[in-house]
Amino acid sequence: MANKKKRAPRRSTMSKAAQRMVMGGMPQEEEEILQSPMRMALQSFLHDKIAMAGIFCFVIIFLCCVILPFFYPIDLYYQDVTQANVAPGFGMLKVPSAMQGNAQDISVGSTFSVGLDKDGNVYEWGTLPNDRLRDIPSQEETGKLVMVSAGLDHVVAANEDGEVFTWGNNRMGLEQIPMELRSGGNKIKQLEAGYQVSLALTEDGEMYNWGSAYLLNISYPDGVQGNIEKFAQSTNIVMALTKDGEIYPLTTSTGSAYVNVPEDIQGDVVDFDLSDESGAAVTSDGRVHTWGNNVHNTLTVPEEIQGHVVSVSGGRYHFTAILDDGSVASWGDNTHGQASAPALGTAAAEVDAGYYANYCIDEDGNVTSWGLDGYLMGTDDLGRDLFRRLLAGGRMTMTVGAISVVISTIIGILVGGISGYKGGKVDNLLMRLTEIVSSIPFLPFCIILSSILGNSISETERIILIMVILGVLSWPGIARLVRGSVLAEREQEFVTAAKSLGVKEFGIIFRHIVPNIITVIIVNATLDFATCMLTESSLSFIGFGVAEPNATWGNMLNGAQNGQVIANYWWRWVFPSVVLGLCTISINCIGDGLRDAIDPKSKER
Amino acid sequence: MGKGRYLLKRLLYIVFVFFIISILMFFIYKSMPGDPVDAMLGSLKTTMRPDAYQDLYNRTAERLGVNEPLPVQYIKWIASMLTGNFGYSTQYQRQVIDVIGAPMLNTILLNVFTMVVVFVISIPLGIVTAVRKNGVFDKTVQVVTIIGYSLPSFIIALLAIFAFAVKIPLFPISGVRSAGADAGGLQGMLDMVWHMTLPVLVMSVSGIGGITRYVRASMIDVLRMDYIKTARAKGLREKTVIYVHAFRNALIPIVTITTWWIIGLFGGSVVIESVFLWNGLGKMLIDGLMNRDFSIVLTMQMFYVLLSLAGNVLMDIAYTIVDPRVRLEN
Repeated sequence: MANKKKRAPRRSTMSKAAQRMVMGGMPQEEEEILQSPMRMALQSFLHDKIAMAGIFCFVIIFLCCVILPFFYPIDLYYQDVTQANVAPGFGMLKVPSAMQGNAQDISVGSTFSVGLDKDGNVYEWGTLPNDRLRDIPSQEETGKLVMVSAGLDHVVAANEDGEVFTWGNNRMGLEQIPMELRSGGNKIKQLEAGYQVSLALTEDGEMYNWGSAYLLNISYPDGVQGNIEKFAQSTNIVMALTKDGEIYPLTTSTGSAYVNVPEDIQGDVVDFDLSDESGAAVTSDGRVHTWGNNVHNTLTVPEEIQGHVVSVSGGRYHFTAILDDGSVASWGDNTHGQASAPALGTAAAEVDAGYYANYCIDEDGNVTSWGLDGYLMGTDDLGRDLFRRLLAGGRMTMTVGAISVVISTIIGILVGGISGYKGGKVDNLLMRLTEIVSSIPFLPFCIILSSILGNSISETERIILIMVILGVLSWPGIARLVRGSVLAEREQEFVTAAKSLGVKEFGIIFRHIVPNIITVIIVNATLDFATCMLTESSLSFIGFGVAEPNATWGNMLNGAQNGQVIANYWWRWVFPSVVLGLCTISINCIGDGLRDAIDPKSKER
Repeated sequence: MGKGRYLLKRLLYIVFVFFIISILMFFIYKSMPGDPVDAMLGSLKTTMRPDAYQDLYNRTAERLGVNEPLPVQYIKWIASMLTGNFGYSTQYQRQVIDVIGAPMLNTILLNVFTMVVVFVISIPLGIVTAVRKNGVFDKTVQVVTIIGYSLPSFIIALLAIFAFAVKIPLFPISGVRSAGADAGGLQGMLDMVWHMTLPVLVMSVSGIGGITRYVRASMIDVLRMDYIKTARAKGLREKTVIYVHAFRNALIPIVTITTWWIIGLFGGSVVIESVFLWNGLGKMLIDGLMNRDFSIVLTMQMFYVLLSLAGNVLMDIAYTIVDPRVRLEN
């Protein structure tokens, strides 16, 4: 009462006026007398600003983790080193306006793109993985560039005279351009920068490669050199199309589905390109033939474009084709929208698909782009999108927390209820058991159990194990609380009444007494939920909880345990920390608010 | 019932719980997949001749006693445990007792420092906020403390490393002492304190958050009591009222919570030790688990159990000290 009076002046005039309108000017004190304790608790809880802010914050995070994964699905096993440690931000597709209407050539690199306009000016945009990429050679040095290509972290370009230039990463021999290409004179037909390798093809069908030979092991079959029409490269392989329309893998290794170019199209191929796991070739009748592994449906060519395809270009897990009516079509992986080709106004002249993006230059020199524009929260060391992992991790962390709390609450109610109602020896025994469990040091024991039991089981079983461990070890608190409340309720009249009616003991405890103390249990369960989430995160953080590739907020921080990461890749630890912190803070605020609302005495504090 | 008899009863009970947990732990360990003998001999299996290896294997198994029935193994193990022989560490190739000294000292140092920092800050803070209840200062502290105890320690650790070791390189990121620093005496001490600052800071934050809130809550309860009014009516100075009359009575619930906190502190320092590569018991536990070094892990676990059981008894004793009304009975 005293407290209510104290609060009254703090209410704003607006709410007072509103109340008067509803209550018809009824004096406030009278209204309070009419309220049941439950409603009073609810009222005071709703007026607790901190608790409300906590609820708001938690509900938002919760909804995000539940709903957003439907829009941003995650492939837990996906990883891509070319996308490792990309800083958060967008703009990978932001073609400089100076290039619009004047574009000569565009190429997609790992997380950046390089473009060339018709005057020979070079543009770079996106997230540069390497600072050396900024050292674009001046036009005096290079002359008029006509061809450009971006790779993992380097760029190659050629001028009108066939002189080849490179900048960006200069290790692994990427700077050692073959002599023949340095001096010019050879007309360059095709130029590509790949994964630590550069490739060039001259008009007379001669191919050159330099850079790291370790990954690709390029070898030219007899009679291919000097007869090459076009080549294509991915991180795994290089293949060449000869002037006779045949495709040759430039490798000595055989046996993988990747090198098995269908025999029936050999000799009839007009264009082809490779994605990371598959190849696609266009034959003279305008049909696309694919081979390799059907990762992300790269082999599933849309039926309606068959017979109309002019040329094809491959990204990491998708293909984009130009059709005979000048429109474009894409298929394959659509995680970043790279397979959602837009409708073009004018006919497409050239398409460059690479990594996760596509650029299409139309006949007027305008550029249209689609695909990966950037990562909202950056990527981790394995190139995984942190935003998606954060959502999946939130779901996992909350699920583990919630189920652990359910387990511990059920055990707590059972033990506490029986112990408090029965009393005597049973009480003594159960309380000793409670004491034993609570004297087990929590975190070390969790670590030990999860490392010993979780050794030879599957990932799902491991997650269940973590839930059970947390639940089974954290019930003593709730059991004590329930026991105390049951002791107080036991002597009430309604229990005596239930007894005299012949209700069984089990029924009295769980159907008559427990519903009366459910508020206390709910408050405690709320606070336990935060604790369980924290414990799970701590366990996963030190590597004894939910293991990769499953994401939780704790194990996302696991990789951020060294100074290098903390200093250079802030996004890898800031985002998970902020969300986890916000979540636990808001749950604690809610729990505190609930407690204050239920226990009027504590509000005095 | 006298105090002595009560304590004796408690002690017996602790011994009982200790044995229960030790049995539990022992059998969990024994159900662990993997052959400890193979783990101990390590790479010898590939380098030795098969028959010689088998011979060595049998001898080692004999020495470790892994072929005997489990209850016998347990009794042998617990007997040697109680006589101070904690077994042989397969990871360090030495007796556990020989390798456990330094980490234990490190952990105790870390925790004791944290406790001192937490109490020195949180008790006065709790009292002040309780006295000036609902003031601006109180409200601020309330918000800060709820953040402090809600944030997981490893997030605070990451923030602290970012702020004080990366951005402003005041303190080392990890380790117990500087590499190669061999200096004993004052220099060595200072070096260690320098390395300890960040872990202690991080562990203190959550402790301060929780304890301050408890001190405040229990002080507020006490300050509303009639005897405080009486004390004031007698004309005692406000300081005497608060620090002598009120605080002593507020201590009872504080003692409960701090005992649990201290026990949790030792367990929780596992995470901090692994972040800061602090060579303490927690890190040893994790290393032991990684290397399947049963003896080390079992010893660690028993240490933690003993610690928490002892904490319970100390709590009881502390009750009688702070509140003469409490009789140590059932």
